[in-house]
Amino acid sequence: MKMKLAALLMGVAVLASPATADKNDDTLRIAMAFDLENLDAYQNTARVGIILARHVWDGLIYRNPTTNEYEGNLATEWHWVDDTTLEFSLREGVKFHNGEEFNANDVVYTINFVADPENGVRPARNVQWLAGAEKIDDYKVRVNLKYAFPAAFEFLAGSLPMYPDEYHSSVGPEGMAANPVGTGPYKVSGHVQGELISLERNDAYHPASPKGAPSIKFIDWRTMPEMNTQYAELLSGGLDWTWQIPPDQAENFAAMGKLNVTNEMTMRIGYIGMDASPRHGDTPLDDVRVRRAIAHAIDRQGIVDSLMKGASVVVHSACFPSQFGCEQDVAKYEYSPEKAKALLAEAGYPDGFDLTMSTFYQDSPPEAIQQSLANVGINIALDRTKYAALRERVHNAEVPFLYMSWGSYSINDVSAITSKFFRGGKDDYAQDSEVMNWLEIADTTTDPAVRKENYSKALKKIASEVYWLPTWTFNSNYVFSKELNFVPTSDEIPRFFTATWN
Amino acid sequence: MLRFIIKRLFLAVAVAFTVSMISFSLLFMAGDPAIALAGESATEADIEAYRVQYGFDRPIFEQYVSWLGNFLTGDFGKSYYFGTPVFDLVMSKLPVTMTLGFCAITFAILISIPMGAIAATRPNSLIDRVALFIAVVGQAMPSFWFALLMIVAFAVKLGWLPVSGSSSWYHFIMPTIALGYYATPAIMRLTRAGMMEVLGTDYIRTARAKGMSPTKILFKHALRNAVIPVVGLAAVQLGFMLSGSVIIESIFALNGAGFLAFESISRNDFPVVQALIMIFSLIYVLLTLLSDVLNAWLDPRIRTA
Amino acid sequence: MLKPVVNLAEADATPSPAAQMRRRAMRNMSLLFGGGVVLIVALCAIFAGFLAPQDPYQQDLTARLISPIWMDGGSWDHILGTDQLGRDYLSRLLFGARISLFIGVVTALISGIIGTTLGVTAGYFGGRVDAVVMFLITVRLSMPVILVALAAVALFGGSLQVVVLVLGFLLWDRFAVVIRASTKQIRSQDYIISAQALGCSQTRIIMTEIMPNLLNNLIVVLTLEMAAAIIIEAGLSFLGLGVQPPLPSWGLMIAEGKDMMLFLPWIITIPGVALFVLVFSINLVGDGVRDVTAPENRN
Repeated sequence: MKMKLAALLMGVAVLASPATADKNDDTLRIAMAFDLENLDAYQNTARVGIILARHVWDGLIYRNPTTNEYEGNLATEWHWVDDTTLEFSLREGVKFHNGEEFNANDVVYTINFVADPENGVRPARNVQWLAGAEKIDDYKVRVNLKYAFPAAFEFLAGSLPMYPDEYHSSVGPEGMAANPVGTGPYKVSGHVQGELISLERNDAYHPASPKGAPSIKFIDWRTMPEMNTQYAELLSGGLDWTWQIPPDQAENFAAMGKLNVTNEMTMRIGYIGMDASPRHGDTPLDDVRVRRAIAHAIDRQGIVDSLMKGASVVVHSACFPSQFGCEQDVAKYEYSPEKAKALLAEAGYPDGFDLTMSTFYQDSPPEAIQQSLANVGINIALDRTKYAALRERVHNAEVPFLYMSWGSYSINDVSAITSKFFRGGKDDYAQDSEVMNWLEIADTTTDPAVRKENYSKALKKIASEVYWLPTWTFNSNYVFSKELNFVPTSDEIPRFFTATWN
Repeated sequence: MLRFIIKRLFLAVAVAFTVSMISFSLLFMAGDPAIALAGESATEADIEAYRVQYGFDRPIFEQYVSWLGNFLTGDFGKSYYFGTPVFDLVMSKLPVTMTLGFCAITFAILISIPMGAIAATRPNSLIDRVALFIAVVGQAMPSFWFALLMIVAFAVKLGWLPVSGSSSWYHFIMPTIALGYYATPAIMRLTRAGMMEVLGTDYIRTARAKGMSPTKILFKHALRNAVIPVVGLAAVQLGFMLSGSVIIESIFALNGAGFLAFESISRNDFPVVQALIMIFSLIYVLLTLLSDVLNAWLDPRIRTA
Repeated sequence: MLKPVVNLAEADATPSPAAQMRRRAMRNMSLLFGGGVVLIVALCAIFAGFLAPQDPYQQDLTARLISPIWMDGGSWDHILGTDQLGRDYLSRLLFGARISLFIGVVTALISGIIGTTLGVTAGYFGGRVDAVVMFLITVRLSMPVILVALAAVALFGGSLQVVVLVLGFLLWDRFAVVIRASTKQIRSQDYIISAQALGCSQTRIIMTEIMPNLLNNLIVVLTLEMAAAIIIEAGLSFLGLGVQPPLPSWGLMIAEGKDMMLFLPWIITIPGVALFVLVFSINLVGDGVRDVTAPENRN
């Protein structure tokens, strides 16, 4: 009787133990904290969608993450015909996952489809600069821009996957979302919304691709919203890879020594937005001395050292340092509570004032900022809301002071961040026509010198007026199994097609 | 009996309508659906276009009526976030939540009724006190704490159970316990009180005097009568569990309707939230209706009340 | 010989019901133990300013996540360690008692007033009024509390006041049900009927005859709802919808520490145990009151 019971229990234990056969059945199990609302690359806006798109589809060109050079992917050669026309020579012998041949028809179809605002591509800024495309011959196309758009290559490399024209025209976006088809190193073999995306290696992936040949056969992409669950799965062997682990936990994992822990930069920067415009009525923030006081009051380096850690650094300009046009020679505000208090007194607030800071971040840095400001007399009430609600309130001009971040969709160009937030519109807290002017010039000319000059002017003014207080760069901690060879890149887009088993 | 059922049915439907009306208004105040629908880079003109296209500029009551009309014909609208029909979305997530709720209430009943019955037969004894203690302990622990503790103990340290997911019945063990234990105190107490009341009646004393075995008395007579109010309570608890499963579903990555509701509220995805609230309240209302009918059938005195 | 007169003093030696109740209260373990703990927590809350070694809001980024005294690396500077922003945990715990008690008491009061009013009205007047109240109760019970709380917070933002108001306006159902049942029962008593026959006004009857007799059940439900409110707030904080930082609500302390749970379990165990002890004790008080005021229910 006892033996039977023991055997039963053991049997239960064996059956119940999670599959540790990860490397053994060539399956990489990864976890993401957020799910994807739609698998169609043109119908989602979250980072998870960007990552999936890199794996399932290819663009005409590809930016090498280490050299930052543009290499041909589905295109072999390209040149500007004039300021608003690009000509591409396409690669031959490439097939989509469903067997369809890749040729000029696909490029023309895709570009014309996304350029049409009726088709509601999200986010619109990825495609609104495109006018259309025309076929020259089976492997040559011309892409027409609405205006001179210097960041064209960035978007062509990152945000414009090529769709199969026959397939897409027959099944439409719904069909593409249900059964994605691309030319990429992996194909989607299964999908349970909110739970699991199953990827399978594309053994017919075109060998000349700059992405290289994919090695791992299966990728199980699980959605796990609760971080503790991810940690528990990592520790019990049910998960091989995850990322965006907070620094404390990353240190703990590293100390345990059972898993690989790597830290890498991302293109995301944090910022404190302050309303200097009349949009929110009269607030103390209208006075530039108050804004400068706030800049001096926050111990950014201290927060980076103790809370952000890893590869994070303090930034002073409203852009990510590697982005084209990111002027670094701008006003820098050192940490000095005394200076802050002096400025506040000068502006007429010797005893400080009350202010609400909105953010969607649930972790510690907002509280540290709150404390920093409290130390100089500015009493912050913390208002934490969800991202969607916060964005709506920002657009409704209900949030004069906020702590947010922006990842620029990993586009390595100032137009992806500074221009988004300072060229007028509902995200622009400054509404400064000088800045708007400079940015417009810089955004619409292809002359790099002119661009640099105008971005520089804009960024210098933004810093001296403290429309934004850029805080720090974000880093990401990657924790993964020791059986996995994985190298993170600084654009916050993990590439599993270059990962291999040990 | 039929009149009773019909009366209760009317009441049930009226309740469901009222709940949906309240939640509709609440959601409307909570965020602008046109903005949620139009998306991130939309201009003021875009948003206005959506407003007109979807009829958000009509008075709230008119919108409610039109939504209700669609709902009753099975058209739950399209999710703002996913763009897919809400009906499909909800139907794909509901089974997990229902399974979880059902298992949880079964677990609660299997634990509480025996405990309550035994405690009733030996009032003020050690067993009684221990049972009451266990009951109160269950209510004093936050469910997420309990759930996380179980994960650490059984999944990480001992490796007996999987941490998360819903692919096998093992995956439901910890979520069931985490969700179900909260209902055990109430059910246990009620069973105990009901049993004690029944055990003190003349009917039972007569049976004892006649020499019927104590076990038979316990199960055949006392329990049957004591269970009546418990049925009602269990239905209520099940209703709570279905809508209160958000935390458990989130921790165990169960991808159910509770989690969907939570996420949808965060994203201002109104059609989904509206449909889910309606469904949850309908389920609850039907459950109480069922328990009322069951009670009436078990105890005819209730029908005329 | 004359027969002894009945000794009036002895005849009055049987204690009054109130005195009997007091005596039972003195001997009831639940009441003593639970009440004692709640009293201690209340005292901690009131005197937190004196008892706390440090300012619960003072951050020290160089002294983060120091272990409590009984673990390696602990020190007497921070008996219960520090949290992820370097704030002294013991101080936060003490001040957190204020918030938990505040939430429990105020929520219970609000929901108590609403629920009792509805319950008494329904139980006393019966008929259509009763039907309406029953309908309201059913509507309230069919609404998923968490979802409504979420929507409310989306509307008004998360804060202590919002949480208390939302919970206060949602948790009145048990009051209504219990008070209604009790009122019905009391109403059918002879002395009520006589009072009505004597022509006393409804209000007078309700206030002087019915309410005092409800007190026992009311107190029991009050304790249950207090406990429930505290637990629900912890859950809301876990979802990010409860009180906002830097308030040291115990639920928020658990929520903020949960990411570290696997590696530093003490971070959520300490506030978790505090919550548990408080809620458990409140429940004990409720049980005790029930035992003492209606001993016949036990046997």
